[in-house]
Amino acid sequence: MQGMEAYWGRRALEFVDAIEASPTSARVVSLFEKMIGEFGFHAYIMAGIPTCGQSLGQLTLANGWPAEWFELYNRSNLVAVDPIPRHCQHTLNPFLWTEAPYDRTDDRAAHGVMTRARDFRLNEGLCIPVHYDDAVGAISLGGERPYLDAEAKSALHLMGIFTHGRLRSLMRPLGGTAARRLSKIEAEVLSWAARGKTAWETGRILGLSERNVRWHLEEAQRKLMTKNKTATVAAALVNGEIML
Amino acid sequence: MPEIHVVRKDNRHLYATYFDPYFRLRHDIYVKQRKWMALDRPDGREIDQFDTEDAVYLFCIDNGQLIGAMRAVPTVLPTLMSEIFPYLNIRGPICRPDIYELSRVFVIPERRGEHAGPRVETLLLTAIMEYGISIGLTGFSIVLESWWLPRFERCGWKAHPLGLPHMMDGMSVLAVLVDCDDLTWTSQCNQSGLTRPTLTWHGLEQVRRRALPDIFLPHAAAFQPAQ
Repeated sequence: MQGMEAYWGRRALEFVDAIEASPTSARVVSLFEKMIGEFGFHAYIMAGIPTCGQSLGQLTLANGWPAEWFELYNRSNLVAVDPIPRHCQHTLNPFLWTEAPYDRTDDRAAHGVMTRARDFRLNEGLCIPVHYDDAVGAISLGGERPYLDAEAKSALHLMGIFTHGRLRSLMRPLGGTAARRLSKIEAEVLSWAARGKTAWETGRILGLSERNVRWHLEEAQRKLMTKNKTATVAAALVNGEIML
Repeated sequence: MPEIHVVRKDNRHLYATYFDPYFRLRHDIYVKQRKWMALDRPDGREIDQFDTEDAVYLFCIDNGQLIGAMRAVPTVLPTLMSEIFPYLNIRGPICRPDIYELSRVFVIPERRGEHAGPRVETLLLTAIMEYGISIGLTGFSIVLESWWLPRFERCGWKAHPLGLPHMMDGMSVLAVLVDCDDLTWTSQCNQSGLTRPTLTWHGLEQVRRRALPDIFLPHAAAFQPAQ
C-alpha cells in the first residue's frame, strides 16, 4: 500500500499548499468541497460543540450540510443526543461515525439521529475532533458510500485539520454588530477570559492594569447578572456578545 | 515569573545539577505517565541517542526547580524524524543548518494550565521562537501528536505538514515544519502579554546573536472604555 499512501499523501500536501495560498474563506471552502467530493463526501460541517445553552449556529465555522438537515438538527436540538459530538469529548483521534458508541437498544434518541441522517444521504461519515484547552470542536464529513480506507482517512484528517486552521486564521478579525449590552472593552476583556487568559495576561495584551481588567469583568458581570467570571463568559457567549 | 535558560554545550557545566532531575522528569512523564515503553530504562532516566553535546535545551526554572523543558537538535545531525520516523516526511529529508528539530516538550503536571501569570506552556513556545530568531534559524521540524495542531494555530505558530498522520500506539502522529520568524515571535509575545525577551543566556555571552524585533502592544489606545 506504499503506492496508495504516497498518492494520497502527495494530494493532501498539494491541497494544504493550495489553501495556505488562498486569500479568502470562500476559496478555501470551495477547494475543500471539491477535494472531499473526490472521496465521495457530499456534506460536511466544522463547528464548536455546543455546551449547555449554546446553539450550534453560533459555533459554526463552515457549514456544508444539506440546508434541511441543518435546520432539522437545530430545531430538534439533535446535538444533545447525537453520539458523534458526544464521542468527540472522549477521543483525540478521528473516528468513523460507526465507531461512536451508543446503546442501540436503549438509546433510541441517538439511534434516531443516525437513522434520520440517512434521509439526507448521510449514511457513513468521518469525524475529526478538534481540542483546545477550553473547548472542543469537530469536523464531520458525510456521504452515501464514501471512500474510507486507512490512507484516505489519514489524508482527510490532514486536510480537515489544516482547512479548519486556515479558515480560523482568515476569519480572525472578529466582527459582529448585534445589539450589545456590553461595552467594547468589556466584550474584549471577556473574549480574552474565554480564551483562558488571566486578568494579568489580558492586562498586558490590552495595555491595561490588572485592576482595570478586573473592573471591566465586574461590570460585565453586573450587566449580565451573573455570579462569577466563568458564568459571565458563558452568558456572553450564549448571547453572542463575544465569540471564540 | 519562571526563567527560561538556554543550555548548550558551551554552558552546560553551569547546569550540571539540573541534568539528573531533568532526565528523571522525562522518565516520569514519557515512560510512567504516557507509557512510551520503548524509552524505558532501568535507571529511571529517559536518555536517548539524540541527547548529544550538540543538543540545545531550554530549561524552565522557577525558584531553583525545573518545571518544564524542551530539546532542540540540529537537523544536520541524526534526529527523531530522520532516524526513527522517516516515513512521516514525504517532502524529502530535512538536513539544514537553519532548521532544528524540537522534541521532549513538557511541563510538569503541577504547573500545567495555570491561571496566574503567563502559562508555562506558552512561555516555552515563545522562548524557543526567541532562541531561533536570535541565532538565525528559519524553521523547526517536529514529530508531534496531531491534536496539537489547533493549539499551534491558536498561538500563532505556522505549521506546514510534511506527510500524512500515522497511528502510533493509539495516537495520531505527524511531522511538520514550523516557520521561525520575527512575526511569529512578536505576535506570540503580544498574545501572552510579554513585553520583553524571556531567555536567560547565562554563560553564553560569547554567542553572536541577531537583534530581536521590538515588541509592542498593538491597539492599546483603541481599547479605551467607550464612553
